Amino acid sequence: MADMEVQDAITPMERAIIHINVADFAVAVERATDATLRRGPLIVAPLAAARPLVFDMSEEAYGDGVRKGMALSRATRMCRAARVVAPRFAQYQRAMAALVNESRHFTPTLEAGMADGHLFLDVTGTHRLFGAAPEVSWRLAKEVRNTLNIRPIWTLASNKLVAKVASRLVKPVGEYIVAEGEEEHFLAPLSPLLLPGLRADERRCLIDLHIDTIGALALFSPAQLGAVFGSRASRLHDLSRGIDQQPLSTGDKRAPAMSREHEFADDTDDYRQVAGVITTLAAAIGNRLRADRLAGRRLTLTLRFTDGTAVTRQLSRKRGSAVDHELRDMAQTLLKRCWQRRIRVRGCRLRCDRLHRHVVQLSLFTEPARAAGKTSRLLAALDAVHAAHGADAIRYGGQHTA
Amino acid sequence: MSAPGINEPPATVTLAHAGGSCHLLFGTCGYSYLEWADSGFYPAGTKTQAMLSTYGRSFSAVELNYTWYQMARAEPLRRMMEKAPAHLQFGAKLTRTLTHERDDNWRRELHAYRDGIEPLRHRLLAILVQLPPGFDRTITHRRYLAELLDGLAGLPVAVEFRHRSWAIDKVFAEFEHRRVSLVMVDAPELPDLFPPLGVVTNPELFYVRLHGRNLAGWRSGSMQKKFDYDYRAAELRQWCDTMLAPMARQASRGIIFFNNHVRAQAPRNALMLAEIVRESMA
Repeated sequence: MADMEVQDAITPMERAIIHINVADFAVAVERATDATLRRGPLIVAPLAAARPLVFDMSEEAYGDGVRKGMALSRATRMCRAARVVAPRFAQYQRAMAALVNESRHFTPTLEAGMADGHLFLDVTGTHRLFGAAPEVSWRLAKEVRNTLNIRPIWTLASNKLVAKVASRLVKPVGEYIVAEGEEEHFLAPLSPLLLPGLRADERRCLIDLHIDTIGALALFSPAQLGAVFGSRASRLHDLSRGIDQQPLSTGDKRAPAMSREHEFADDTDDYRQVAGVITTLAAAIGNRLRADRLAGRRLTLTLRFTDGTAVTRQLSRKRGSAVDHELRDMAQTLLKRCWQRRIRVRGCRLRCDRLHRHVVQLSLFTEPARAAGKTSRLLAALDAVHAAHGADAIRYGGQHTA
Repeated sequence: MSAPGINEPPATVTLAHAGGSCHLLFGTCGYSYLEWADSGFYPAGTKTQAMLSTYGRSFSAVELNYTWYQMARAEPLRRMMEKAPAHLQFGAKLTRTLTHERDDNWRRELHAYRDGIEPLRHRLLAILVQLPPGFDRTITHRRYLAELLDGLAGLPVAVEFRHRSWAIDKVFAEFEHRRVSLVMVDAPELPDLFPPLGVVTNPELFYVRLHGRNLAGWRSGSMQKKFDYDYRAAELRQWCDTMLAPMARQASRGIIFFNNHVRAQAPRNALMLAEIVRESMA
């Protein structure tokens, strides 16, 4: 009996992960707010841009061959019946925030994408409060439909991997429940290209090796896969068997963080202009950190491009900083790392986290201490000017002007 | 009436009456509830995968309700049938896109459903068509229901109404003509809810669902409150005498499912009712 109790105590609770996915999120939001857009093909693209690219398109337009990132002129030739509307990013962010808020009624553990209609919820152990996980999934989707006028896909599985593949399977509408223990059976007949997180070279490899199903991939041992996929073999082996122990990346929303973002009036490929904006964002974060007597150890920069894609890079330092030029230098390094695509930038976001109380460490040596003192006084003066006369009253050289 | 044999499947009773006999199967609406492990019906730590076989030790019939949330799919259902105890028989709820969330594509959905439940075929007790409270007896709804039943032809079908406007002789006569079972419901008394009439429209099968009598919970909009109810033995005895016994005299088979699942009252009550029926035979 005692053994049984120990056994029970260590039995991990079955996980229940819901994936909510609004297909063609920008289109869905536009259609939710304008009923006249609900019938017929729809393309979302920045009409005012010099060479506008498709940001999002409806299923009908997709059926006619329109794809994200395609030149709008080409897209409208392929789908002549399409209506074209300009993207409204603030609207998409608000819709995403509302989606997240609805979801928070059911669990605090969720992983949300950036205004893209993707959301994972971990509802493990909530059955006493809200009932069985299928009921929660259905109710959440119903709430979203009623309050946001958007119809999401929902899937339910024991992990993110399987829930996400199930979403890809039922897109653009529908639902899928993959029962615990069914993961491998569910994946086996599907194309391995449906597996999330595959790199481009891995996808090419799978095609070259004629591995047409996930079941076929699962037949290889990790050692066999290692000959082709190297250090990724073990991960691929797990993926092929529906094994995914990763917790949700909640971004630890409760952990303090500061972020600033900027939307360019016109999409831009001017590096200096973007660098100027990044400097402004870093200065704004620095100002706020100092006001709260905090310092941050990690910066994250996200660039969003005209074609709807985004690139995110992070950089950490051992000791936190609230000094403008240190934050600016980190941010500029991140910008260099993000600046890899020849596509115009639509907006950027700088986030500072891993915050801690700002403690001034006295130096044993005179000169650095004096320099630090000078910097502190300079920043204090800057902050005083900003407080009295606004953020634009005094700026760094190269800083973007609003 | 006959006493249960040693090898009789669990939670079944055969009632003999003047016109023949009625085989009763007791069970629950759904079986995959983690709460049932918390509440002691399943041994602590029972995994979802092991629940159906554990359920089968106590019961011979179960109503599958996950087919309401998502379209039935043949492959997973086939695997489920392979693992399920051989004596277990199934009711299967019709998908919500054919009852609560109907749209213009419903005929395609119906085809998909028929294909999806194919592996159940030889162990299928009935397809449960549970219609929502807003589905009242209008011309549009009558036409839809008639077309839906046409589309389900060849399958055993039971229909549960949640609106009282359907409680008329014409409806019962049409069900008799189609050999469709009218679901008898035990639920809190609410003004618009279909009343518990005990009408048997199909002599081959009557179908009962006991939802519990939690009036406040029913109005709360919360599933966890709506079906949180524990029938007392006296309530079940009275229900057995006044409703179950007369229905059993009119059909050769009856299935009785409990839906008050929240704290595993459903399996306890189902076993309790089976015992009460057995006692009444003694």
